[in-house]
Amino acid sequence: MTWQTWLFLPVFFGAMGYSLLQIRRLGKLMKASTGKTRVMDEMGARVRETLINVLGQKAVLRDKKAGIMHATIFWGFLIITLGTLEQFVSTLVEGANFEFLGSSIYQALVFFQDFFTVAVLLAVGYAFYVRLVVRPERLGKSKDALKILAFTGGLMVSILLMNAFHLAGTQPWFASAMIFSNLLSGLAPSDPSICMAGYTFFKWIHMILVLGFAMYIPHSKHLHVLAAGPNTFFKTLTVEKGMQKIDFEDETLTQYGAAKVTDLSWKDTLDTFACTECGRCQDLCPAWNTQKPLSPKAIISDLKKNLLRNQAAILSGKIEDVTPVIDDNVTEDVIWACTSCRACEVACPVFIEQTDKIYAIRRNLVLMESRFPAEVQNVFKNMENNATPWAFSASDRANWSQGLSIPTIQANPNAEVLLWVGCAGSYDDRNKKVVTAFASLLKKAGVSFAILGNEEKCTGDPARRIGNEYLFQTLAKSNIETLNRHQIKTIVTSCPHCFNTLKNEYPDFGGKYQVFHHSQYLVRLMNTGRLKPAKNFDETVTYHDSCYLGRWNSVYEQPRSLISAIPSAHFVEMTQNREKGMCCGAGGGRMWMEEKIGKSINIVRTEQAIATKATVVASACPFCMTMLTDGVKAKDLQSKMKVMDVAEILDQSIS
Amino acid sequence: MNIYVCVKQVPDTETKIKILPDKSGIDLSGVKWILSPYDEFAIEEALRLKEKNAGSTVTVVSVGPERAKEAIRTALAMGADNGILVDAPEGADGALAAKAAAGAIKKEPQVDIIFTGKEAIDDGAAQFSQFLAKNLNYPCVTVVLGIEYGPGKVQCRREVEGGAVEMVEATLPAVLAAQKGLNEPRYASLPNIMKAKKKEIKTYSQADVGVSASDQKVRLKNFELPPPKQAGKKIAGDIATQAKELARLLREEAKVI
Repeated sequence: MTWQTWLFLPVFFGAMGYSLLQIRRLGKLMKASTGKTRVMDEMGARVRETLINVLGQKAVLRDKKAGIMHATIFWGFLIITLGTLEQFVSTLVEGANFEFLGSSIYQALVFFQDFFTVAVLLAVGYAFYVRLVVRPERLGKSKDALKILAFTGGLMVSILLMNAFHLAGTQPWFASAMIFSNLLSGLAPSDPSICMAGYTFFKWIHMILVLGFAMYIPHSKHLHVLAAGPNTFFKTLTVEKGMQKIDFEDETLTQYGAAKVTDLSWKDTLDTFACTECGRCQDLCPAWNTQKPLSPKAIISDLKKNLLRNQAAILSGKIEDVTPVIDDNVTEDVIWACTSCRACEVACPVFIEQTDKIYAIRRNLVLMESRFPAEVQNVFKNMENNATPWAFSASDRANWSQGLSIPTIQANPNAEVLLWVGCAGSYDDRNKKVVTAFASLLKKAGVSFAILGNEEKCTGDPARRIGNEYLFQTLAKSNIETLNRHQIKTIVTSCPHCFNTLKNEYPDFGGKYQVFHHSQYLVRLMNTGRLKPAKNFDETVTYHDSCYLGRWNSVYEQPRSLISAIPSAHFVEMTQNREKGMCCGAGGGRMWMEEKIGKSINIVRTEQAIATKATVVASACPFCMTMLTDGVKAKDLQSKMKVMDVAEILDQSIS
Repeated sequence: MNIYVCVKQVPDTETKIKILPDKSGIDLSGVKWILSPYDEFAIEEALRLKEKNAGSTVTVVSVGPERAKEAIRTALAMGADNGILVDAPEGADGALAAKAAAGAIKKEPQVDIIFTGKEAIDDGAAQFSQFLAKNLNYPCVTVVLGIEYGPGKVQCRREVEGGAVEMVEATLPAVLAAQKGLNEPRYASLPNIMKAKKKEIKTYSQADVGVSASDQKVRLKNFELPPPKQAGKKIAGDIATQAKELARLLREEAKVI
């Protein structure tokens, strides 16, 4: 036992003890979350996803520059930590080291440690450069980030100097494996005792930085080094995810949705711990990019701030003293600005699920407090009274099909597929033409199909996204009763919102069907030779991804392959496409809310379409159709650019 | 305060009205029933008054068939405390309904103020509030756009023809009939919807409140739909010819000049 051991023991246990106490506190805060999480099964898949995305850095590397920077620091951190461990051991027990691993392994180990020390230093330098010189909007200004970089850089510098003095002072057998430290040791003074003093000094600097960092991390966004791994493990495994069901039969439930941060689930809280504020979500957010107050990055860090502000009350069990989740940061405007396009979630390298929180908060506002944009009240009333968000009579639902010889399910009970028309297809003049074109294609392909006619009701999607789970469930149960009564097995719809709800949300209520979006169904009909596009379509076509088709259901290619199959159609992509496609502005119930703040989302998206010089913007969603058509009108470009559904384009090409 | 609101259940505004084959009435099958929209303003006003005066109760009264209980439940879900239904046949007129509602309200220990919609959107008669006030011997203010509450009296802004507004003062208890613009009715919260399901609705027969079939003053004989809307006509030619043709059509076809 040397003086170093005696000094190290209290410093180490003091720092680590403090750090563990902080982590325990954060764990308790997570445990105080009362909201429900999704079912977390399939452990094998979870382990695989965690290995690929944490050790493999897959999601992080989707952004090349930042990804390489991060992966370097992360992999460096793993290998350098082994060295730190050895250092701690050798400080406790003089002369102890990892050389027992064998000379070649040990040499490789110190080689990589040395290599990564420099690599991490370069990465930290790059990160400083980005934060201080490039200053992209998504990163914002963060003193926390600069402190973290300073810590990391300081650690690397202290390691390099420590190793350089060590190699100069003792000339160990593995010195040549540590290329950079060895080079640096050439600059050290020749007196071995000075070198050893330098070594001890920088070793202590390094150890104090490590322990200081460990104490700092629980108070910082750098908490993500502890939370991102578990967060990846507990993420929703599938792209398709329905909103969580509220069990209204459960009489012990007295709170619906999140009024307080403690009403969120522990996974929601873990999400806030996992966020390192990289801002990839914010970069792609259609609300943020049109000057709305919502930033998916800010909402996560603001929820964490709310939690920490309330921690005294939470930890002492005085939940009644916890202040509301709606505060000066997370305002109602923030909550209502979300189009639920999910670009944020798909972009997040640590799989934070922002929409879950926004939905939970909306549910409280609507169900418990009746607080929502005034124009939504009529939407709810229309859905309650006429089963459509628009003010039309339920008895007029099937009027669009008059004279088109489209059979109802009563007339054609053995139809191979049910055509789910949706409210837009039933009532909106422009979208009636889309459903008509799709029905025409089904006839050309010889498909036996039927509609529910006036028995169809809104799926409830707008109510659910806005937060009115009660109204959603009323409509869902009624539709499921109708579908099951007619023994429906297969459904096709041209509305991605209906598609998503029927496919991913109705199973929770006993409605289990094979559901196709019309683009998927049309591709199948083409592949089996039942539809053969023959006529030319001499237009330049770009395709606008619908969020509920793309990001919520991974249907990116089918609409594109429909367009590509048409002779002479020239296809061009918008810059933001597929996972990064920008929302039209109508999702998440925004279709029925006024857009009072900032630039209109649909105008921005239309401008992106115009930039491709396309003559036709193809859409595969009735809401996108409405938003883009309005956008083209607002730009006064109707003579140069048409908005058409993929079914309409295909129908023109088949006689 | 003991606050009362009289409401009526009516067909939804989007309902496609169909006449019975014998033209004796409207085909009620498949009709979606709602609370008359003007009554929602009345309920909202009652709830706001209650919220300003601790210990107040809001009681909702409706006159009609059993199905009218749904309208009362809607009002209870918005936050009203009690419900009373006086059983009455389909098509009861304002005179009968008002006498029945007055009879029910007279059974209550104390009344401070009564709200109702300025009219029901089905028959649009706009008579109920005045009949009710007469039966109770209270003052009545109709088409109310705003209310200032004072001790034992109210000052109401009411709409008059031509979009003008007049100020009227009435002593309490009074009957006030709400016009659109008085407030923005709230959307029922889920806990209140759940609570409303469990609240009891007091029911009276016509005899209980001293009403009989002879109180019905209006007899409806025959129903007919308005003629379907004709497609528009475009008049061609130069301006002078167009004007001439327009004048001829207005005189000979439309017979309005």
